[in-house]
Amino acid sequence: MKEDKGNFLDGPRLDAVSKVRGRERYAADEYSEEFLWAGAKRALVPHARLFAVHASRAGAHPGIVRVLTFRDIDGPNRLGIVRNHQPVLVDKVIRHVGDPVALVVARSREALLGALDLVTFDYEPLPGVFDPEEALKEGAPRVHEDNEEGNLMRAVRVRRGDPDGAFRGCDVVAEGVFETSRQEHAYLETEAGWARVDENGVLVVVVSTQTPYRDRKEMAHALGLGTDRVRVIAPYLGGAFGGKDGITVQCLLGLAALHTDGVPVKMWWDRRESFLAGVKRLPARMYYRLGAKTDGTFQALSCRLYFDAGPYAGLTGEIMAMGVEHAGSAYRIPNVNIEGYCVYTNNALGGPFRGFGVPQSTAGMEQVVNMVAGKLGMDPLEVRRVNALKTGDRNCVGVELRHSTGFSECVDRLVEHRFWKDREAWKASAPSWKKRGCGVGCMAHGMGYPALIPDEANARVELTENGTIRVYSGVSDMGQGNAGTYLRIAGEILNQDPATMEIIQPDTDHDLPSGTSSASRTTYTFGNAVIEAAGGLKGIILRAGVRSLGVGGVDSVELVPGAVRVKGSARQMALRDVAALIDAGGRSCTGYFRTPHDESTLNIMYLGTHVLYSYGAHLARIEVDTLTGRIDVVDYVAVTDAGRVLNRSVYDQQVQGSIAQGIGWALMEDYIVKGGRHETGDMATYIVPTSVDVPDMTSVAVEPDEATGPFGMKGIGEVVISGCLPAIANAFHDACGARITRAPFTPERVLSALAGEGEKSETEDILCS
Amino acid sequence: MKQKISFVLNDSPVAVETDPGRRAVDVLREDLGLTGTKEGCGEGECGACSVLVDNVVKLSCLMTAGQLEGKRVVTIEGIAGDGELHPVQRSFVELGAVQCGFCTPGMVVTAVGFLEVNPAPTRDEIRVAMSGNVCRCTGYQKIIDAVEDAAEKMRAGSSRG
Amino acid sequence: MVRLPLQRTEVPLVCLEGVSELRGIDESADEVRIGAVTTHSELISGSLIGKHFPLLRDAARCIGAPAVRNMGTIGGNVCTASPAGDTLPPLYILGAEVELRSLKGRRRMPICEFVSGPGRTQLDPGEVLCAVVIRKDHGFNFHHFEKVGQRKAMAISVASFAFAAAVGEKGSLARARCAFGSVAPTVFTSPVLDGLFSGNPISEGLLCDAAAIVREGISPISDVRASKRYRRRVAGNLLMRLEGGAGCR
Repeated sequence: MKEDKGNFLDGPRLDAVSKVRGRERYAADEYSEEFLWAGAKRALVPHARLFAVHASRAGAHPGIVRVLTFRDIDGPNRLGIVRNHQPVLVDKVIRHVGDPVALVVARSREALLGALDLVTFDYEPLPGVFDPEEALKEGAPRVHEDNEEGNLMRAVRVRRGDPDGAFRGCDVVAEGVFETSRQEHAYLETEAGWARVDENGVLVVVVSTQTPYRDRKEMAHALGLGTDRVRVIAPYLGGAFGGKDGITVQCLLGLAALHTDGVPVKMWWDRRESFLAGVKRLPARMYYRLGAKTDGTFQALSCRLYFDAGPYAGLTGEIMAMGVEHAGSAYRIPNVNIEGYCVYTNNALGGPFRGFGVPQSTAGMEQVVNMVAGKLGMDPLEVRRVNALKTGDRNCVGVELRHSTGFSECVDRLVEHRFWKDREAWKASAPSWKKRGCGVGCMAHGMGYPALIPDEANARVELTENGTIRVYSGVSDMGQGNAGTYLRIAGEILNQDPATMEIIQPDTDHDLPSGTSSASRTTYTFGNAVIEAAGGLKGIILRAGVRSLGVGGVDSVELVPGAVRVKGSARQMALRDVAALIDAGGRSCTGYFRTPHDESTLNIMYLGTHVLYSYGAHLARIEVDTLTGRIDVVDYVAVTDAGRVLNRSVYDQQVQGSIAQGIGWALMEDYIVKGGRHETGDMATYIVPTSVDVPDMTSVAVEPDEATGPFGMKGIGEVVISGCLPAIANAFHDACGARITRAPFTPERVLSALAGEGEKSETEDILCS
Repeated sequence: MKQKISFVLNDSPVAVETDPGRRAVDVLREDLGLTGTKEGCGEGECGACSVLVDNVVKLSCLMTAGQLEGKRVVTIEGIAGDGELHPVQRSFVELGAVQCGFCTPGMVVTAVGFLEVNPAPTRDEIRVAMSGNVCRCTGYQKIIDAVEDAAEKMRAGSSRG
Repeated sequence: MVRLPLQRTEVPLVCLEGVSELRGIDESADEVRIGAVTTHSELISGSLIGKHFPLLRDAARCIGAPAVRNMGTIGGNVCTASPAGDTLPPLYILGAEVELRSLKGRRRMPICEFVSGPGRTQLDPGEVLCAVVIRKDHGFNFHHFEKVGQRKAMAISVASFAFAAAVGEKGSLARARCAFGSVAPTVFTSPVLDGLFSGNPISEGLLCDAAAIVREGISPISDVRASKRYRRRVAGNLLMRLEGGAGCR
């Protein structure tokens, strides 16, 4: 939409004041004498047949109200929107250490903790699988006995042109095997919520969730309730990044609340439980082969991507699919063979994490691009410029790019940046014991849902009887500030100061289904729906004003903050008075938007593809300490195409936060699971960056106008994170002439690489030295 | 075994009767209704539970209720009270240092305590001062910007007398 | 305190920070007495520590992050006796002694005797560590400390290197002491290693020889933070930092 930016899109976050005072109440901040506490007994064995749960000792513990098992579930007891096979409480088979075996309901947190230890269960350990390629071998233990394809959850293959022939015609071919780690979201607010069955028999759940509407459906199904008997309310989340995209505490809470006779129940996972039971970024092992001609043009790409799903389908197949869709990053490649495999294991639950498969495949592709550039003796940015996708091109899976494609401009800006131009001099002046490197990494990221899944939103904007504008948000705000942005967008359309407006956070009773808070869609999709709804409300208000102000038509009046005014005069009517003229049902307007999609892309691959992409080109300047192996990122530049910037501060918040998570993933974040057991199960052993571990970052916005986006924007939430790992990997190669292909690039792996040890199996370290 | 624990909380005297071995963060949140102080990890690794105890930043998840006896404790709710925002809070708002907001109380408390002792810090010193407060949303940059901005404004404000 | 919530037993606690005899940093003619509940922040800001034992101050600066330094104490660090305790290598180099008290009386012992193994000390039941006492006449005029962790704050040491020397006018070392943390069950020191330095200026050749002794002498383990191979490699490497002037007077 080509509306010009006016007054109200800029300005500080509207939710900041209550948060900075400590007054914003998150899901875990409700306390009451009344509240019962619920907690899950976790299996702590990676694969086992469950025979019996012994709850009587726990049930007799002082302060315990009930101990519930699968037998207390009056419904299918199954979660999962793709494969409905994950139990709320295990009935037959335990498939990962975090699988819940029983649910204890207690009068206090202390009683709960005491009782959980007293729950025991009889089980028979089963052999487990812990590596996706091993899991695909003949005879591997099966995670799901009834899965026809063994441990293969899903495979997706895209083939275009004649890759075998094209490889034969290439002047250079580079190949590598790249591994990326399991990453844990480590949002500051762990999973929490509370629930009760109200006077009307409705199960009301207040929960930190990205997906209130989908939660309602999943809960209702799993617990055997009608969806009209479940209400989900989503306050501001204390971070999520994909880790609260789906069921966390909801079903366990709901199950507890169904057995407490209307007394409210609270559940709050402490950090260890959050790590144990929550989803993680799928680790990936990727075999990449890229061929090019001497002029730098990419001719052929062949890759096999193995994703470790963990024990249940969740959204893991969709994550792998998005990795496949983006396997060629932001380049034209006419001949491709891309194979993606999503594989069950008894490792930690795999699930959404910012980027959703794209950071993984981008990590592989962007390194092999540099390897090709190296073989050609070509500048790494030049080889990218030569192959950069432009509007009208087809991307690696064959999607024709009909929307804004600002990738070339991103590359051009980086070429002109002084860090790139001055890199040789900068490297040459490295201090003692340090080596310096400058590396680039680029990316594309499809916005919204793939073609098969309608990416739609329904907004409602209302003029309250007090004359304030109220927006009903259907999309959770997990910290990205979309709630405030909706007010700003409505403010722009209605010419009202957003600070005077109200937002109702998602509540399945009051708001309208609008999809998930994920997929970089939250401003684009719902924002477009707000524009339509606010536009409709504007008409309603002006028409009411016209009648009262006694002028000819709506062209003679305009909205000003707080009032309708006759143009060119001082005569106006306060919105409160206008509201009194309209009956309640008529004071509100809904708007609908569905993101552009192309069903023909269903012929390309599972789910179809995206059609709208954001892009980026990044540069990392690093110093490698050759004594300790530590890599410091001393400077970072992110050039981004996410369409027009609505609010620079909110935009840069996403860029900077993404870079920090990307640096963490590249250098220190590795959620280690060995033999199915979690080795980094708390924040002392799972290492995330602190303020001294990240540099000052430079964010450059290239702003092509995206005609379909609210005020010309596209999604910014995920695109940036994919650039960090490859930029740092390529910078390391630039600094030291070696490539570490297994991330994170810990000091240990760096020293190994510097010693020329190659990629020895790391278990050898423990046995031999 | 309950014990009476008396201390000054956000400038007002307060007394709680509780097991002195309970965690301070639980007493603040559950008994005193001050949920601005958050729990992020329960083991002192994230800083979300930061409070000021006799002007010194401490982690309330690693303190017992008994350790509050006789102390002057300030939580996020006491930084501004019902009044105007503290300069640190104002800078956090204006410079975009707040996203999900869950780390924010700990960040603000830490920054307020820090600037009392070091009113003219370098950017690197600010980064070190905030290094015990984990944020997953911001990448820290705007938080550092905000503390720098608040320090400058506080110095300018006090020099005007 | 960090492990407390996991224990969930009825353990009576006595809070020592309120005991005045355990507080304060005081000096006498020969010694500085650091009360057991002296926090790491107080070690960093204490003028006596900065003046007499800057090595200890530099190590304390590397612990955790500000709030952790405000709460953690030297007594806690010593009695926890983690192989990764950051105050320990400097205290070994400085020949610190611990002062223990119980109803039966007082006793003092060198820290290297007090720490008897990983997480183990000679503290008897009913005994409290009251102070860490360090003689002022160590004669060191040069010190260096480096900690290696998985990140630059809030990190448990994977390896640490403390060094102090009495440097003569021509740059030659009359005497030096080295101590390594996190690479053995307790702090690693070696008279042979220290002896390499005495009478010699620091040179690359000397440091390489020293690194070989260190790598040979330590007994690191592999754990979730690092492998023994890395620890062995980096411990030797840390010595090289002394070449070209790392460390200070």
